[in-house]
Amino acid sequence: MKQESEHILDKFPKKDGLTVPDGFFDDFARRMAAELPLRPELEKLAPAQRRTVWHTVRPYVYMAAMFMGVWCMLSLFTRMSGGTDKLSIEASPELATAVSNESFVEDYIIDNLSGYDLYDSMAADSLDMENLSDSLESLEEEVPAEEAPAVEDPNAPLLPQ
Amino acid sequence: MAENTKDEQELVSRLRQPQTARSAFNEVIRRYSEPLYHQIRRMVQNHDDASDLLQNTFLKAWQNLEYFRGDARLSTWLYKIAVNESLSFLARERKRYAMSLDDQESALANMIEADSYFDGDAAAELLRKAVVTLPEKQRLVFNMKYYDEMKYEEISEILGTSVGALKASYHLAVKKIEKYIEDHR
Repeated sequence: MKQESEHILDKFPKKDGLTVPDGFFDDFARRMAAELPLRPELEKLAPAQRRTVWHTVRPYVYMAAMFMGVWCMLSLFTRMSGGTDKLSIEASPELATAVSNESFVEDYIIDNLSGYDLYDSMAADSLDMENLSDSLESLEEEVPAEEAPAVEDPNAPLLPQ
Repeated sequence: MAENTKDEQELVSRLRQPQTARSAFNEVIRRYSEPLYHQIRRMVQNHDDASDLLQNTFLKAWQNLEYFRGDARLSTWLYKIAVNESLSFLARERKRYAMSLDDQESALANMIEADSYFDGDAAAELLRKAVVTLPEKQRLVFNMKYYDEMKYEEISEILGTSVGALKASYHLAVKKIEKYIEDHR
């Protein structure tokens, strides 16, 4: 019986006759290789990038560059808006020369104010013109004569012409 | 065979090294795709199902690679996974379509008749139909012994069954196939 069974099977091919589409196993191997999930615990991951000096100082360099940028912008905005440097005496040689000249103040600033204008201004401020002489005399007593100008006539100019 | 074993040992060694694990597994896929595909296909008959199950087999092998201790051969371990995938698939299909084992046997026979990926003659087709009438375990034993010409010891490692039981199972399978062929000639 055993021999008969083996004899029957001997008449049948050992090849199963199963086929696959052309290139199936090559495609399958490629597809599988692409679809295999990452296994970090199993595989060696790419070595971590070595930390160089540049990596250490980079944040500080970036921060310094940022502050430099802010400073440059502020400086630029100040120049564009004209600034106040030009109004200073040191920055303007013409103004420095004028101020160093004593006659400039007398001629163009103090001398420009007449006694009448001063009196008018004092009257507008409700100062007592009648007692102004008394006030000035008491002021003379306190201030040395050569420093305090004598005021006899209220209409006379208080300051030298 | 000794050379194959040496190759497999070298492959297993590469699988265990983190630097070469992935490339070695790609080599495993290239080397074992075809025999595993045929083993699966003889169980489920349909090419597309076999392709999906082959993919699942390799994915499971990759995901559980650290559990392969090397006590058994790599091919044996892969065959085990493929067999489990095939049997689980057949069980799922029975549950999905509420089929009995006999209904599934008929469905598999119909698939064989309509199979476009088959270039065997009438005798080969008759043998395929005879094999699907076998219980699943006998079918596995017959396929491995008859088509793949595996040794009983190797089949024993894959199926976890004693060599004696496998011999008896194969003998029964041959008798059933003989009867089927005589009835359908």
